[in-house]
Amino acid sequence: MNPRRVAAVFRRIVAQFRRDPRSLALLYVAPLAIIALLGWVLSSQQSTATRVAVIDESGHAAGAAVVSNLQSALEAQPGIVLDRSVADDSTARQMLKDKTLDVVVVLPPDFTVQNRKIDLLTLGLNPTAEASALPAIQKALISAATDSALGSVLPSIDRVTLYGSPNATQLDSLAPVVVGFFAYFFVFILTGISFLRERIGGTLERLLATPVSRAEIVVGYSLGFGFFATIQVAIVLAFVLGRLQIPELGPIPAFAIGLGVHTSGNPLVAYLLVLVLGLGAVSLGILLSTFARTELQVLQFIPIVIVPQALLTGFFWPIEQLPSLLQPVARVLPVTYAIDGLRQVMIAGADLTSPQVLLDLGVLTAIAALFMILAAATIRREVA
Amino acid sequence: MAVGPTPLPAAAAAPAALPAVETVALRKDFGEIHAVDGIDMSLPPGRIYGLLGPNGSGKTTLIRLLTGLASATSGTVKVMGVQMPSRVNLARIGYMTQSDGIYPELSVWENLSFFAALYGQMDGTDLHRTLELVELDTRTGTPAQNLSGGMRRRLSMACALAHHPDVIFLDEPTVGVDPALRVQFWDHFHRLAANGATLLVSSHVMDEADRCDELLFIRDGHVLAQGTPAELRQRAGTDNLETAFLSFASEPGNAAPAASAATVPTASATTSPKDSVR
Repeated sequence: MNPRRVAAVFRRIVAQFRRDPRSLALLYVAPLAIIALLGWVLSSQQSTATRVAVIDESGHAAGAAVVSNLQSALEAQPGIVLDRSVADDSTARQMLKDKTLDVVVVLPPDFTVQNRKIDLLTLGLNPTAEASALPAIQKALISAATDSALGSVLPSIDRVTLYGSPNATQLDSLAPVVVGFFAYFFVFILTGISFLRERIGGTLERLLATPVSRAEIVVGYSLGFGFFATIQVAIVLAFVLGRLQIPELGPIPAFAIGLGVHTSGNPLVAYLLVLVLGLGAVSLGILLSTFARTELQVLQFIPIVIVPQALLTGFFWPIEQLPSLLQPVARVLPVTYAIDGLRQVMIAGADLTSPQVLLDLGVLTAIAALFMILAAATIRREVA
Repeated sequence: MAVGPTPLPAAAAAPAALPAVETVALRKDFGEIHAVDGIDMSLPPGRIYGLLGPNGSGKTTLIRLLTGLASATSGTVKVMGVQMPSRVNLARIGYMTQSDGIYPELSVWENLSFFAALYGQMDGTDLHRTLELVELDTRTGTPAQNLSGGMRRRLSMACALAHHPDVIFLDEPTVGVDPALRVQFWDHFHRLAANGATLLVSSHVMDEADRCDELLFIRDGHVLAQGTPAELRQRAGTDNLETAFLSFASEPGNAAPAASAATVPTASATTSPKDSVR
């Protein structure tokens, strides 16, 4: 390995990339735009009030007492707007359909002190969103039951978590995932396309007619794209973790830049994890460019290579919840280890002394090394 | 198969000199197609060799085998006495590909200094001299994609010559280069040869053939004939190299064992003179 030749490849990639504003934008602006959008969506979702009505079909005094208790408990719950004007079941159902109500609590005709059964009525079009309203209603039910004449006293519940805050939002747990995933995705696409250009543009042929070795090409590429990935990760991490409040200025309302996600870990360790992941993505891009003939075909790898990683690596669901056949698949995908490591660091506050983080880092390094060897092996296969 | 290992009249250097390029029974198959079909050649250094043949005759495949970019199905290649493929030996070889093989986003200077650096050539003044040679010294900052086709060709040549190789393979170097500059190219090729370099220039244009010291007529992966332009004319009994090519191509021994198979190159051999009328 001749460092001068590696440096020449590195410098060339940096020079090429600087001349390509579109790719620079893809690498630096696109992830910020997407993350900002995600943060916005997730934060506004939490502030929606749930409109609730309580209907009494029991027709006896005990039922009426429960209803009135429940109504005052619901009104005391933050995030719930009680509609007292609705009196009968059919009006309530119509209002659900008109989307002027979100949840209807019904005390059915057979409700008695012994048979304490309550119906919850929702539209059913978007189960996840509707389910998100239920905890508040349950809380109200508990507090209503506690001080009701029915007598049974339920304990109040206080949530405590080992890691992070019990009030952690969806954004807090998604942030590490997003950081890792973007580094992987964009670095893969850019290297894949740029190496494909070498293959079809005749420059790879020309390169291989020089004394440069395949390993020098792969290392030079890794350094070059690794360099840009490093900057990307720094920007994305700063955006996710930091939060800069911009005060109101004339007609522009006050707003904040950055998501201000809470982290308990060392951002540098997170950085290291993403960097090793990105190096693997460079080699994967080189490797898969062998199987593409046009730039469009590189993009066709997105559904094959990228989307399954999003589904399987803990982006949306914990790996333990995957069907047992898919679990081994998830365990060989590099993003899995990056996401696990990033969660350990950013949520649980683990550092390099944690065996879990070291394992993740080790597996990522091994995968990156394997991809590098495979990528180097594909380079001389052009004999056309 | 080749027409004799050619006893050359006064091959400049001592006759004991190692051949710059030597192949033995070199063969390259792509499935059923014999792109290079058993070529033996031995080219003494310090001369310009013209590799002439129609499109698809195996010129580019032969050059790729000589540089070690393609691996031979059988047979051996030696360049400057070193068995190819050899990565280290590539430092003594210059290769100008048929496609330009330069980076369109990079400037003239960045392209040249990149390739030169891979060969270990970092001397800025010397690189600048190379650019003067191809008349691109006033364009150092221009991105290659803004150059004309002929300029890109010249840049590509500069990238192949910057490290002062001993053996230079040029695959159709003058395509798209205007006549005045083409004359300069050939003058420079002769200067390089006079300084001891060996050049192998492929072309399907016969009017360049006379500028070579020695010609190899190639078709169907065979060397039909080898010799100086004058020798080949004399042997074919014609003044015209195109006619000479066709005459060698129709010789009984060369009319191809695959004559009955009527392979494509037979057709392209007849089109080649047309190509050369430009």
